[in-house]
Amino acid sequence: MIDALWTNLDYVGSVVLFCIGLYCVITKNNLIKKFIGINIMETAVFAFIVALGVVEGGDAPIMGSGATPPFTNPIPQALILTGIVVAVSTTSLALSLIIRIYRHCGTIEADELREMG
Amino acid sequence: MSASTMIVAVIIVPLLGAVLTPVVGGRSGKAAGPWAFGTMLLTSAIGVYLMAHVARVGPFSAYLGGWEPPYGIELRFDEFSASISVICLLGTLAILFSFRYAEKELPAERLRYYYTLLLLNLTGMIGFVVTGDLFNLFVFMEILSLSSYALVAVSGEHTAEMAAFKYLIMGAVSSLLVLFGIGLLYALTGSLNMADISTRLTGAAEAPAMLAFAVLAVGFVVKAAVFPLHIWLPDAHAIAPSPVSAILSGLVVKMGLLGLVRIYQIYYGARVLDLSTFNLMLVWLGAISIVMGAFFAIFQEDIKMMLAYSTISNVGYIVMGLGLASQYSVIGATVHVFNHAIIKATLFLGAGALIYRTGYRNLTDLRGVGRSMPLTTAAISIGAVSIVGIPPTAGFLCKWYIALGAIEANQPFFGFALVFGALFIFVYYIRMVNAFYFQQPVHPEILELKEAPPSMLVPVLLLAALCLIMGILGRLPLSFIEPAVARLLGTLGMGG
Repeated sequence: MIDALWTNLDYVGSVVLFCIGLYCVITKNNLIKKFIGINIMETAVFAFIVALGVVEGGDAPIMGSGATPPFTNPIPQALILTGIVVAVSTTSLALSLIIRIYRHCGTIEADELREMG
Repeated sequence: MSASTMIVAVIIVPLLGAVLTPVVGGRSGKAAGPWAFGTMLLTSAIGVYLMAHVARVGPFSAYLGGWEPPYGIELRFDEFSASISVICLLGTLAILFSFRYAEKELPAERLRYYYTLLLLNLTGMIGFVVTGDLFNLFVFMEILSLSSYALVAVSGEHTAEMAAFKYLIMGAVSSLLVLFGIGLLYALTGSLNMADISTRLTGAAEAPAMLAFAVLAVGFVVKAAVFPLHIWLPDAHAIAPSPVSAILSGLVVKMGLLGLVRIYQIYYGARVLDLSTFNLMLVWLGAISIVMGAFFAIFQEDIKMMLAYSTISNVGYIVMGLGLASQYSVIGATVHVFNHAIIKATLFLGAGALIYRTGYRNLTDLRGVGRSMPLTTAAISIGAVSIVGIPPTAGFLCKWYIALGAIEANQPFFGFALVFGALFIFVYYIRMVNAFYFQQPVHPEILELKEAPPSMLVPVLLLAALCLIMGILGRLPLSFIEPAVARLLGTLGMGG
């Protein structure tokens, strides 16, 4: 059991990270903290998918560098690059919404906002 | 130009149009509307060409950069991609409707960005339905989700921003689940092409395949706002400007359902899991959505809130139809994706026209409006009749097919849920029609109003006419969708 956890440390780590993020989203009252929770969840998923492409002892998959096979799978990294771009744009949209909410309501605490309707 | 070039063009044209809108629109934003309208007309023309082609030769593909799958990115146009017709139709009409509506609702300096976001949203949806690649599906889904969040907030009231934020949190989590599922499928099969995954998934380990299915399904179910995961929908759809509500309710939630259909295509083809338990769950969730959505709608005063809850109920019909997994019910569900888009757009745009003229959103305040705006209220009434599902309107056919499917699948109990939901829906539309025509106005000045301006009236009347035409010519979409459903249910095998 411990062995299995240890060999899959990267996956276990991302699951733990995911849970931390989810905990933040559900329990935090501050909208910015809520969104940081989502960012943590995103990081967890990204780490998980990048870990999928890792090959034991694999070289960087770059042509002409004199590297020898086996190579690390580059596709998950390329995908996650796109994923990060998406995450950044979501974050910027969320933060700008939070700024507008603050300007209108003078608070970004979820419970106070709920009272204001 | 070959058909495969045209698939690329149908995404590139609205995307370029969106990018150029702020430039063309200038500071005053005057030209942004007509520019967006022209872009959508061009896109629709390409869409019509693609539809004609798929009807003639069946599904076809374009390979980007000349690389064939599994290495290259595939754009694939099949019968489900035919939903591009509704996207183009509603997109064009919503932009036409926006000319006057957005001018009144939004500050002038924001107009050009409004049209940019609308075009981006439509681009995302068009890309979503034509891509054959799972990761591109995710990217297009994010384009359409991000533009949706911004469009909800566009009116700038603090409730709009709150609704958009709630939508964003739910949307971001569901997108993450989808991405996670795609990563798992990639790890299992080493491919991102949907048809290719389907062949490679056969014989894959069952547990991770099931996990991938579950997270993808939950992700898309949140996007589709099926009952326990619907909480973001009513506020977001009710507060957005009316043309945006029409697009969100008519089309954007359907993309979640189409995503679900795509996942089914993969898994049915691979035969790696027994999906009957999941189907049963979908049927139950669908039945609960139907009843709860309609139930909450009855108690709404705000006309757009009522329509938003009605969307939850109608998504329930589609999910139930998919879950029953018999030929009739899946055909009914697929056709309802198209028909509900048209019906809900009629209702939201009609409601938008009423709000534009009267400035009121509550049914009590809108009493008597049928006397001063007879054409708009007539169009809304036709939409209402069709959403209840009274023949010969568009809603009848699909609900009839789903009910037949329930009997075919030997679960007539769910047919009752369907009828029960229709009765609830009937109650709240009676309330609406009653307020328009038969009650004394609370605000007498409502009787002095004129009809909505032609750029708003024409889309509403056109859509209302379509509600009737789709009911009478119901065979047309059916004959189109039948081969695709047959393929989906595996009678002809996967991939066609």
